[in-house]
Amino acid sequence: MLRGSIVLWVALLLGLALGQDTRVVNILDPSTSYNREVGRLLVWVMAFAVLIFGVVTGALTYTVVKFRKRGNEQGEPPQFHGNDRLEILWTIIPTLIIVIIFGLTAQSMIANAKLPAGAMTVKVTGYQFWWDYEYEGLGIRNSNELILPVGKPVIVEITSKDIIHSWWPASLVGKQDAIPGVTTRLHFTPEKEGIYYGQCAELCGASHANMRFRVIVVSQEAFDRFVRGAQNYRAPEPQDALTRQGQGLFQQNCAACHAVKGTAAQGVIGPDLSYFGNRTTVGSGLWENTDTYLIPWIKNSPGVKPGSKMPPFAQLSDDDAKAIAAYIKSLRIEGLDFQGLPQF
Amino acid sequence: MAVQAPTPSKPGGLSGTLALIWDLMTTSDHKKVGLIYLVTSFVMFGVAGLMAVAIRWQLAGPDGRFLVGDAYNQMLTLHGATMLFFFIIPAGLSGFGNFILPLMLGERDVALPRINAFAVWLFLFSAILIYTSLFFGGAPDVGWTFYWPFSASRPGHGVDFFMLGVLLLGISSLLGSANFAATVYNLRAKGMSLWKMPIFVWSIFATSLLSLFALAGITAASLLVFIDRKLGFSPFNAAIGGDPVLFQQFFWFYSHPAVYIMLLPYLGIAAEVASTFARKPVFGYRFMVFAQLGIAVVGFLVWAHHMFTVGESLLFQLVFVFFTALVAVPTGVKIFSLLGTLWRGHLDMRTPLLFVLGFLFNFLLGGITGVMLAVVPFDYSVHDTYFVVGHFHNVLMAGSGFLAFAGLYYWWPKITGRMYSERWGKLHFWLFLVGYLLTFLPQYVLGFLGMPRRYYTYPDGNYLWNEMNLISTIGAITLALGGIAWLIGVIDSFRRNQKAGDNPWGGFTLEWATSSPPPSYNFAVNFPRFFASERPLYDWNKEGLETTPVDVRDIHLPAPTVWPFMTALGLLIMGVGMAISPNAHPSGLSGVAGWQGWLAVGLITFIYSLFRWAGKLEYDVPVEHHTVTNKSNAWVGMAWFIVSEIALFGILIAGYLYLRLSGAAQPPEERPAIWLALLNTFFLVASSFTVHYAHHDLRSRKMSPLRFGLLISILLGTVFFLFQAYEFVAFRGHVDPAEQLWATMFFIIVGLHGAHVVIGGTGLALAYYQAIQKKLDDHNHGTLEGASMYWHLVDAVWLFIVSIFYIW
Repeated sequence: MLRGSIVLWVALLLGLALGQDTRVVNILDPSTSYNREVGRLLVWVMAFAVLIFGVVTGALTYTVVKFRKRGNEQGEPPQFHGNDRLEILWTIIPTLIIVIIFGLTAQSMIANAKLPAGAMTVKVTGYQFWWDYEYEGLGIRNSNELILPVGKPVIVEITSKDIIHSWWPASLVGKQDAIPGVTTRLHFTPEKEGIYYGQCAELCGASHANMRFRVIVVSQEAFDRFVRGAQNYRAPEPQDALTRQGQGLFQQNCAACHAVKGTAAQGVIGPDLSYFGNRTTVGSGLWENTDTYLIPWIKNSPGVKPGSKMPPFAQLSDDDAKAIAAYIKSLRIEGLDFQGLPQF
Repeated sequence: MAVQAPTPSKPGGLSGTLALIWDLMTTSDHKKVGLIYLVTSFVMFGVAGLMAVAIRWQLAGPDGRFLVGDAYNQMLTLHGATMLFFFIIPAGLSGFGNFILPLMLGERDVALPRINAFAVWLFLFSAILIYTSLFFGGAPDVGWTFYWPFSASRPGHGVDFFMLGVLLLGISSLLGSANFAATVYNLRAKGMSLWKMPIFVWSIFATSLLSLFALAGITAASLLVFIDRKLGFSPFNAAIGGDPVLFQQFFWFYSHPAVYIMLLPYLGIAAEVASTFARKPVFGYRFMVFAQLGIAVVGFLVWAHHMFTVGESLLFQLVFVFFTALVAVPTGVKIFSLLGTLWRGHLDMRTPLLFVLGFLFNFLLGGITGVMLAVVPFDYSVHDTYFVVGHFHNVLMAGSGFLAFAGLYYWWPKITGRMYSERWGKLHFWLFLVGYLLTFLPQYVLGFLGMPRRYYTYPDGNYLWNEMNLISTIGAITLALGGIAWLIGVIDSFRRNQKAGDNPWGGFTLEWATSSPPPSYNFAVNFPRFFASERPLYDWNKEGLETTPVDVRDIHLPAPTVWPFMTALGLLIMGVGMAISPNAHPSGLSGVAGWQGWLAVGLITFIYSLFRWAGKLEYDVPVEHHTVTNKSNAWVGMAWFIVSEIALFGILIAGYLYLRLSGAAQPPEERPAIWLALLNTFFLVASSFTVHYAHHDLRSRKMSPLRFGLLISILLGTVFFLFQAYEFVAFRGHVDPAEQLWATMFFIIVGLHGAHVVIGGTGLALAYYQAIQKKLDDHNHGTLEGASMYWHLVDAVWLFIVSIFYIW
């Protein structure tokens, strides 16, 4: 039965792997040295695991097959009370295995404790239910989508402004908790361009499952373009009537919570929308950044994302929402294009 | 009056179901108490199991709409809390423990039968209290782990109910554990030394010790969350220099050892079942016991492995990696010894043994994945993912849970007096095994594919997420079918009504040496005093030793009383009142109208019942108690209970020392006056002396100085309390504990001590009441003994508090 389910699984895995073009989130994705290290440790652990699993299930199977009562037994089975040598043996061998695993783990942790030289630092702050990023020394803030250059080490400093969250781009690196009043650290070097799926990993309320984000790893050149564009950013003036109407509505309804660099909107309660037009997603990594999702989101955020702190705007008509959407989508740094990046 | 069984008092000639209920409400028979635990736990297993199916139903496909957001969080919280607190902990420890342990020891009851009855009702009422939240705006939705500040921020009273439920359950659990520890210490068949006790008794003993030492952690965590919600201050508040991670240290200080509380009783069951159905002694009895104690000790040093991702120092993490991995060693010894027990046996493949075999396979998987989780870099990746969900269900559900069913089938004939159908039992097992593997093996895969736990939804389009989740849901439905097979088996057993003999499996331990179900007095025989091994029935059979009959008319059992039940009921009603009272956090959460009424009615019921209970003698006739240690049961029970109180103050004071020494908690300019504290010290120390002399007076039967001594002690305690209340009000006048961390700790720890003065004073008042009612004599002085020990504890703790809060 176990074998049956394994066969079923392998078939499923193969069939699906070949048949579909989906995002593969994988903690062992060899795109960072961190994941490769985890993979290396796992090889050791799995080797021991297979050994122990094999021995014990082997013994268990043998016991069941060999010693099950068949009804023709005579008298009672041998009444032995134990075997000290055997007990000592099966205390010492696992202890040795444990010591080896501990040694490998310790070695790896000590190596990982060293912060990389020449790294850039990004400050991550968790809020119910979105993420904020600040690039230390560059004077840039962005929300929900973190843009990083490929091949450059990054130190991520994580904290929270309300309750405990946990920041986790699964295919890049392990997670650290975002705790109010505490700063935790992660570091890694993304080695492969792409859009990486990220999530909150500590139960934080109704939309814990909807507190996603993306790490967008781009070429150094594209990253430099982003930095320059962001540092010199002035929100572009509306080019058409719809966008202009949206700008007005945005200032009236949204500016208290959201900031757009270079405008009167300087709210800090909600995500920074300065370069919203460059975002690939809306609603904290929930949906593709298109009107289909953006308009319902603007009109009734808690209706599409339970517990969202952004109040519903019942007074806005569909056209109003469309105008706001047009405006915030016009807020972009030119020359940045994330289309066509692979997803992980 | 010599009774062979206390005839339940039936006011107004109750009959049928009402008589049964009245009997349960008034009983102190360990078997009925055990039955209440067992029935409650297994019903709760069904309830929480249905919740699990609901959770899996929501997750069967992406973007499910069945349980969204908070509703899902309520479901997952109740599922986890119910399974852990109301199934897996009580079923083995309290349920089988109560029913079987005194039988295995060849005794008539546990050490403190009425405390036991109180504990079981408190247990049931704590479950009711948590579920009552559904009628007051919704269940808790913070996960069973109720992390601060999430738990402090939730609107509605769900979390308040949850915290109080956990606190009441904690009291119940401590009383139960102290009772077991005292029973194993004091009550064993003559000739049965510690090293001749069955493994199951050892496992209950080890578990009780774990509980007594560790429970303080969750008491501290839930108490502090409750204080924050109701009074608005917390040592975790980072805004005033507190440390949110401290909550997790407190919480996991209990909740990791709790994993072993959830495991050890079941390992005992596994050993008994394996030995009986292999027709052999357990393999390596002493090693098994040492492994058990080893697990209990090392289990205390691993809690922080739940917190690898909170950014603790490298050294701190390394220490916990080491012990976490190390705990696999004694656990492995248990597994290997179980295999050794089966080896070369004549394995009788009945349902209990099947569950043990299923356990061995699954627990092995859980153990291996547990060691994997100790590898910290890997843990960073899979922490709080479905890998962890797979792991802990492997050890708890297919581990302990399977063994709970092994125990249920194994002792079913003994408990119900009926045989069960092997056909339904085996169908139940296979559906559970297949369902289990289908549900949880895909979850390991989901962990590798990055799916976090506690997600009510997931998007379409992540590789294999849809497929793995669907398989997992199919597995959950299979498990539900297994549950139905189990239910049918139960009904079938009652309908066929096939009577079980005394010893249908040929078991080796003393519970099989009486009828099924056992009579209220358990045994009408005296046992031989010869115990060659942990298998008395086998040894006596070999040696040709016989039991000698006893005249049942010479057996005395405790008289039934309803007051333990009523006392617990008072606490339940008070609990509702406290839960729905106004909150400080989250701000603006007002109380539910009528909360004062609940509180008042509860308090009156509680106090009244407590005094009525104290006024009723345990036995209708004077009974001599023979105990192994020659100490009274009350003394031994209280001694073990005090361990837990010391642990509670210890853990809170450790938190204070950490905050103080790290510089976060600095005393304010104006501190509570030391002269007042010293004066109070005088009162309290003096009262310890007066209590001591009062107790002494009892031994020399000087009743009137005894009453006087008690009265003086109570008055001194009252003066102490009043002075402290004055000091609190004065100090609160110029320092706000919500703004000042030192003051937060001061009010919490000194306030908790004040609460203990009230509890201790109430104990003394009960003894005083017994003295004036002439209910205090050579045979009945448990209350006085317990209360005076407790009072000395309160005194000792105060000396500590004076030095760290007033002098330092």
